[in-house]
Amino acid sequence: MSVAFQPATMAELVEEQRLVEEAQAGNLDAMRPLLERYAQPLYGTVILPRLGDPTSAEDVLRDTLATAVEKIKKFSWQGKTIYPWLRQIAINKVFDVHRQSKRSRRLADAMAHEAATESDPDSLADAQLMADEERRVHRERIDDAMAQLQDRYRTAIELRLVQELSREDCAAQLGVTIGTFDVLLFRAVRAFRKHFGGAAS
Amino acid sequence: MSHDDDFLDASVPEPLDEASPSERTHARTFADLVDKSLVGRAPAAMSAEDRALLEVATVIRATRGKAELAPARARSIVEDVLRGAVGAAAAAPAQVRSIATARSRRVAPWAVAGASTLVAAAAVLALWLRGPSTVEVVEVEAEADIPTSWTSRPADPLIGPIARAQAGDASARIDYMFADRLDGYRERRLTVAGRAAGGQGGTR
Repeated sequence: MSVAFQPATMAELVEEQRLVEEAQAGNLDAMRPLLERYAQPLYGTVILPRLGDPTSAEDVLRDTLATAVEKIKKFSWQGKTIYPWLRQIAINKVFDVHRQSKRSRRLADAMAHEAATESDPDSLADAQLMADEERRVHRERIDDAMAQLQDRYRTAIELRLVQELSREDCAAQLGVTIGTFDVLLFRAVRAFRKHFGGAAS
Repeated sequence: MSHDDDFLDASVPEPLDEASPSERTHARTFADLVDKSLVGRAPAAMSAEDRALLEVATVIRATRGKAELAPARARSIVEDVLRGAVGAAAAAPAQVRSIATARSRRVAPWAVAGASTLVAAAAVLALWLRGPSTVEVVEVEAEADIPTSWTSRPADPLIGPIARAQAGDASARIDYMFADRLDGYRERRLTVAGRAAGGQGGTR
């Protein structure tokens, strides 16, 4: 997965503090560079992996940013980036979605498990470090579930969902018809879901 | 528990097991959903089972693959958020009015209504006090008799009833009326009697 932003330098932290103070003074437009900088890591690292639905994830991102703008005056600058604060707002919003929709129980359970074991934000001041750490934790959990799959199922998921090859190419690589590959992927995702949910609960 | 949940929680067959027609149909539907999801066009409506599986597929893609928010989309969301926040902030002061302003706005409709009522009452009173006015009747001298051909008049007596067989012959009737009016005009403008009657204008 590509990285949408780089670790903050001291100059960038100073600039971020200035923008936050300007926003707290009433110039909300000063938040634009901050929101644009952190929208992608919030979406790709925090929200989408916990929801699994791009449309809901966009809604949650929008709500997260709106809440941040609305409550910026309550944010207290402590020499770290604003990202951990944004991330916590996003996680709360994701929980709200799961509570309201009462669906995706396995994802919700997995998320609850993960929330209990997630790293202390204070120990990871830099937004990039936090996002990387979060991405690593997610990836480990995905890899754990993938490791429990049969080779053919793991290959089907790798080809179609990770490498994003076409169905025709996936079927050709596995030496089966497209219809058979569809069945393989269907079973592979079902099997993954069982292991993924089981690992969380 | 729904049928979908039953299917989701059922054991997963081995990779080489023969698929039933029902499973092939499910698999084909799910494959189509993955296709659409990869290009960012997953439909909003789908079965609970398909949604659960597609969410898992998206989680895998988000963590291991390329499921990201397009930069233009991110900017659009930020723009929406800021526009909403700045709009709300700009609208907020307009909601706050001074007590004097609020009071005057509350009283204004009653003041206008009261003033209008007073003006109307004064007008009625003035009319009543003035009493009935005398009307002078002026005798107008009867106009001297003038020939009918000098006056404005209907064309019906000239044309008379139109037979059905001649209904389409309107141009002939118009020519006839024109000639009649032209005669009257010439008589009034060119004859001694007409000039004596002051016939400078057209027909009356």
